[in-house]
Amino acid sequence: MPQALAPSSPLASEQADIACPFCGLLCDDLEMSEALSPKQPPHRACPRAQLGYTAAELTGNPGIAGKPADFEAALSAAIRLLRASKRPLFSGLGSDVQGLRALFKLAERCGAVVDHMHSGALNSSLRVLQSLGWHTTTLGEVQNRADLVVILGVDLDRGFPRFLARHVAGQDALQPARRAQRRVIYLGPKAHAPTCPAELPLEVLPTPTARLAESLRTLQGLLQGIPLPRTGKAAALAPLAARIKAAEYPVFVWAPGQLPATVSDLVIGAACELVAQINRTRRAAGLALGGDDGAQSALAVSAWLTGFGTGVGFSRGALKPQGELGGSAAALAEGGCDLILHLSSFGPAHLPAADKPRIVLAPPGFAPREAPDVYLPIGIPGVDHPGQLIRTDGVVALPLRALRPARHPSAASVLRQLFAALERKS
Amino acid sequence: MTMRRLTELRGGRIYDPANGIDGERRSLFIDDNGYLAAPPRSPAGIKETLDLEGCVVMAGGIDIHTHIGGGKVNLARMMLPEEHLASLVDRTRHPWPGSGIATPSTLTAGYRYAEMGYTACFEPAMLPSNAREAHMELADTPIVDKGAYALLGNDDFLLRRLADGASDSEIADYIAWTLHATQALAIKVVNPGGINAFKFNQRKLDLDEENTAYGVTPRQILLSLARNLNRLGVSHPLHIHGCNLGVPGNVHTTLATIAGLEGLPAHLTHVQFHSYGTEGDRKFSSGALAVAEAVNRAPNISMDVGQIMFGQTVTESGDSMRQHAGSAFASPRKSVLMDIECDAGCGVVPFRYRDRNFVNALQWIIGLELFLGVSDPWRIFLTTDHPNGAPFTSYPHLIRLLMDRAFRQDMLATLLPEAVAASHLGSLDREYSLYEIAILTRAGPARSLGLNTLGHLGIGARADIAVYRDHPDRERMFSSARYVFKNGQIVVKEGRVVATPNGATHVTRADYDAGITRTLDDYHARFMSVRRRNLMVSDAEIEDLGGSPLCLHPVRRQA
Repeated sequence: MPQALAPSSPLASEQADIACPFCGLLCDDLEMSEALSPKQPPHRACPRAQLGYTAAELTGNPGIAGKPADFEAALSAAIRLLRASKRPLFSGLGSDVQGLRALFKLAERCGAVVDHMHSGALNSSLRVLQSLGWHTTTLGEVQNRADLVVILGVDLDRGFPRFLARHVAGQDALQPARRAQRRVIYLGPKAHAPTCPAELPLEVLPTPTARLAESLRTLQGLLQGIPLPRTGKAAALAPLAARIKAAEYPVFVWAPGQLPATVSDLVIGAACELVAQINRTRRAAGLALGGDDGAQSALAVSAWLTGFGTGVGFSRGALKPQGELGGSAAALAEGGCDLILHLSSFGPAHLPAADKPRIVLAPPGFAPREAPDVYLPIGIPGVDHPGQLIRTDGVVALPLRALRPARHPSAASVLRQLFAALERKS
Repeated sequence: MTMRRLTELRGGRIYDPANGIDGERRSLFIDDNGYLAAPPRSPAGIKETLDLEGCVVMAGGIDIHTHIGGGKVNLARMMLPEEHLASLVDRTRHPWPGSGIATPSTLTAGYRYAEMGYTACFEPAMLPSNAREAHMELADTPIVDKGAYALLGNDDFLLRRLADGASDSEIADYIAWTLHATQALAIKVVNPGGINAFKFNQRKLDLDEENTAYGVTPRQILLSLARNLNRLGVSHPLHIHGCNLGVPGNVHTTLATIAGLEGLPAHLTHVQFHSYGTEGDRKFSSGALAVAEAVNRAPNISMDVGQIMFGQTVTESGDSMRQHAGSAFASPRKSVLMDIECDAGCGVVPFRYRDRNFVNALQWIIGLELFLGVSDPWRIFLTTDHPNGAPFTSYPHLIRLLMDRAFRQDMLATLLPEAVAASHLGSLDREYSLYEIAILTRAGPARSLGLNTLGHLGIGARADIAVYRDHPDRERMFSSARYVFKNGQIVVKEGRVVATPNGATHVTRADYDAGITRTLDDYHARFMSVRRRNLMVSDAEIEDLGGSPLCLHPVRRQA
């Protein structure tokens, strides 16, 4: 049972400065005055977070082929499947750093292919990083230094509901003059333009996603002083170019996960080139929003454990870089994998569509609709147990605290039990 | 009382400069707790004997400056799949697979250090905002002990407080709080004030040049940090990456920095990159002699070299100002730069040092001139600023260059003749002894960092021991240890990793007034994107989540 904490309890202070695990921003200013319940999500929880905290209230049992089973039986069934598998796919990867560490250890033991649910977005960024590089910034810098924030088609209301309120619209800034001059310009499909806090002037320049990259190239040209037609696109962008030119620290914001695969490399690449061009003589920076479902943590953990950010496999004690899986988990599962182990702690588990045996580790609130061969309920990091996650900017990692006594074991502990069992009987 | 049973290491020649032992043949005794013990009263006290006839025995190596964990290191890994694809390591070589040479995966880095006889590594550039993530990477670096130096001196908080005339006691409290919050062993400053100035589009910042936003100079920042670290009694003095890294003529900045420290203890890092003159047709020359002489005259100063080696590497630095300038020379042509959290920044630029390039050849020469020109081996440490000058795996080659004059001359002869002609390296006859190498790579770093039980082989020292088969080719000898002991456990046998315990995380703590916590609570709530308490890395995160025991080093005494 969740414990209600009296204000004088030594744990009471734990109920402030709570970090939310449900998107890549990891807002850490949430507060709780009462026990967690669907009617009482933490104070300042955004709509996305509220969905997460509500789902966290559901409880469930382990299952084997849709039938309730006890934990030991489900664990044994999972072990049997893993032992029988020649090449499992570990998908989802929605977990905290501890869970991911345990997952990679198990993947090496099993000769698994490892692929995060958002690897398509991660790969888009990595392709730009690996071919061109970038100059980026972090949330704290935006708060204090930016005098111009250009949103490149990001649907903030849907994806990052508190980004503007918390990091752009706040009144306090170390550079008050920059804050006073701050403007937000949204360049993208009109339907995705953000709801802006009243105190923040927003300008919308409607642009279809398919033409974002072109607009960024036009801006590059305008900033370089290349003569461009005085009508049409270039003319429409000229005032923005002038704003950028006058700004001391313009920040360009994109979200790889929201860009269609057909244009994401182009948009990110064009934004990075524009920033690089400005930085030859003035200052500017980019900011990628993403990292949901532990994606930034998965990227980082994979990079430090293996040397590769995404798309890694293991086989017979060797690393098998898979190249760009690019969200091709499904295809891979059909082609080369004979078992799926899916992990999703922060949102609904969407399994790769493939006719293979499936083991799912997810909190009951995020369990897949269709019962997998083995279902192991896990707790949510930052709700049921402590943990660590890395934020969208890749720099800041936040500590997650338990908000109640754990209802289910952590993913890390389940994965470690699977590993130990495989070690024992081999 | 039950008799303790000891393991005897017999017959090796011991090089233990901290205890004045220079190649004597004597036995070492390891107790069951993994410490070095006095000889037993009777042979019955010995449970096991290892014959080390023909071997050289030293304390485990300590790398005082190596970029092995943290955001910029991980960015470099992600950026360079070509390096990782070309250097895959599997289980036939190491206990867990991995990849990379300049930016090895964390487990691979730990194994490689252990194979060379190193048992402790220190990450020198941990941003407070990145501390949690840096410690995660260090936690996954096996075998070796580790620790990190927290970066200060470009954070808006400190610059604002200095601009407002904050008292020394407030700055000291802030330093002590930072050490605690980030689980750091020391404090480093990178291009003091310059990273911050670059965010305001300043492109250079000399020692007495003001940051346009705060009106604070690098000299003020250096003096404040050095003075207050000394006041706190932190063992390792301010670790300084100075102004103007890589800029021809920066030798003058370096000399002015040494003089400007006014006798305060300080450590100058990768000094090779800060010892450039502007003589000659190419306006690029060695300033090593002048720097070495200044260091020799200043007993308050220690330094490490940051030797370069020819070949492909990647430069990773907090110095976004200089890395942005250096990105024009990226090879392959890509670079990552970041402005970070009103805290600092970073820059990752791949680079290939070429022996037929005048500047690169002279950089190689300058590093060696520094090694040979600084007379006190206790004040100079062996580094390549991994991976900025070269990957740490080039240490054995570097040791041979220092110990073997003929080999050094042979190497020198292969360089671009114009560079050789511009240097006096050929006339330097000095050869380092094994005793001196043990100082540069063990005893010296341990003393400087205040690691009392590491870096030596006296009774009560931790049994972190490297055993090498003596061989006239010192590169071969130091590449692969015959045995390495970590806490008394054999972790390397005949150059192969045989056990992978977790090393400790070394931190230092000094008292601070609770007032600074309240000040920072307010500062973070108003301005920062992370709450003050969430910035703090807890002991449980290091020990329970990271699996690395904390090793606390108290400060000398607090004023």
